[in-house]
Amino acid sequence: MSEQFEPNIVAFLCNWCSYAGADLAGTSRTHYPANLKVIRVMCTGRINPLFVLNALQQGADGVLVSGCHPGDCHYMEGNMYARRRFRLMKDLLEYLGVDSRRFHMSWVSASEGGKWKEVVEKVVDEVSEIGPFEQFKREKINW
Amino acid sequence: MVDLETIRKKAKEIVSREDVKHLIGWRKGTFGYRVTPYWVEAPEDAEELVYSPLCNTNLATYLTLAEKLPLPKGQEPDRRKTALLVRGCDSRAVVQLLTERGVDREQVVLLGLPCRGVVDLRKLKDSYPEDNEVADAEWKEDKIVLNVSGEKKEIPREEVLDDHCLVCRYPNPVEADETLGEKVEPWAEESHPGVEELENASFDKRWDFWEKEFERCIRCYACRNACPMCYCEDCILDRLNPTWIYRSNNYSENTAFHIARAFHLVGRCVSCGACERVCPAGIPLGKINQKLVKEVREKYEFEPGTDPEGVPFQASYNPQDQEDFIL
Repeated sequence: MSEQFEPNIVAFLCNWCSYAGADLAGTSRTHYPANLKVIRVMCTGRINPLFVLNALQQGADGVLVSGCHPGDCHYMEGNMYARRRFRLMKDLLEYLGVDSRRFHMSWVSASEGGKWKEVVEKVVDEVSEIGPFEQFKREKINW
Repeated sequence: MVDLETIRKKAKEIVSREDVKHLIGWRKGTFGYRVTPYWVEAPEDAEELVYSPLCNTNLATYLTLAEKLPLPKGQEPDRRKTALLVRGCDSRAVVQLLTERGVDREQVVLLGLPCRGVVDLRKLKDSYPEDNEVADAEWKEDKIVLNVSGEKKEIPREEVLDDHCLVCRYPNPVEADETLGEKVEPWAEESHPGVEELENASFDKRWDFWEKEFERCIRCYACRNACPMCYCEDCILDRLNPTWIYRSNNYSENTAFHIARAFHLVGRCVSCGACERVCPAGIPLGKINQKLVKEVREKYEFEPGTDPEGVPFQASYNPQDQEDFIL
């Protein structure tokens, strides 16, 4: 019996743009893959890169971070800091041998329901291609 | 270069000052090539100071490690300054601490020393085994003269120098109250040894390499403790609630630990190589740090520890920052 691999993707969305964008995609009845586990945060600047690390350790096959376009941040500059941070986090993960397709970042505004759909499809496609994440997944500990 | 007597004389002078509490330097260790950090509390202690290619600890670490005990009621805190011997990398660490407000410039006295690179004890011990006799060493132009039990050996510098020192571009202190001796001509070009090689490998090859390295980690946290930039009082590695990184010693937690450690040094690492030199498992931590140093330098033209007036890398942004990786 061969089952198709359904990736488990954790998405961190900013409350003001991407979350609303995803909401718009939902209310406009757009169909897109349901592999995402959405975590709403107030701003991409609030996401500690260790969140990404922890998600991967705890069984995520891919991680998506999505926020407002530069200049549109509700807190003026939160996404600017996030941009620097995740650029280097991505470089570091790649350098250690984690496939670059596992971690993505995107800008999706509240009115871009269509773009959200494209982003999700792309991310799910890419992660499905490389298969489950096994590299440093946390071992189950049985006490 | 600078001779030992000048350093000792200057150190004496500084320690005798009313407003200076102590001076941190190096003295000979108890055996072999070991050199330990040394706190000069009184002027006569200064006679024990040494400065040689064996001085491989980064003294800037001790600025932030000093324990701050709660004071008894009515007692005034000791506001005297700490004096520090700084080489190029130590001074960069101090400058980086200044930009992060980890250290107050008014509270430190920096005595600059030009440096021609320190030895990597592993490399040195491979070709010149260590014995119980306390050894001595000095720089002599492009050689290092090793003095073991009265016997002098001249070793070419490239053979035993630490990898970080081989490509060091800041042999002279960046910031100091006074620099002793003549300046040293920088010998290296911008390069990050070992990084390109891994960059060109496939993802699987890279992971195979790092998995083997991380597997050996015993999580002693010596790298964190030796690092002048790791000075959080509440370190995420020690924190239990939330537990970011479990204490279990397996490849998953070890990898997470190494990623977290390296990431906390983004735009802060001054490439002194202290972490790699203290690692008992011999994990090439420098290769991770250097990768990030390289990315920060190439993509953001930022070099930590060079501008005392600067802003920390991760606490600043440029609206024109690259975003080619963003969907």
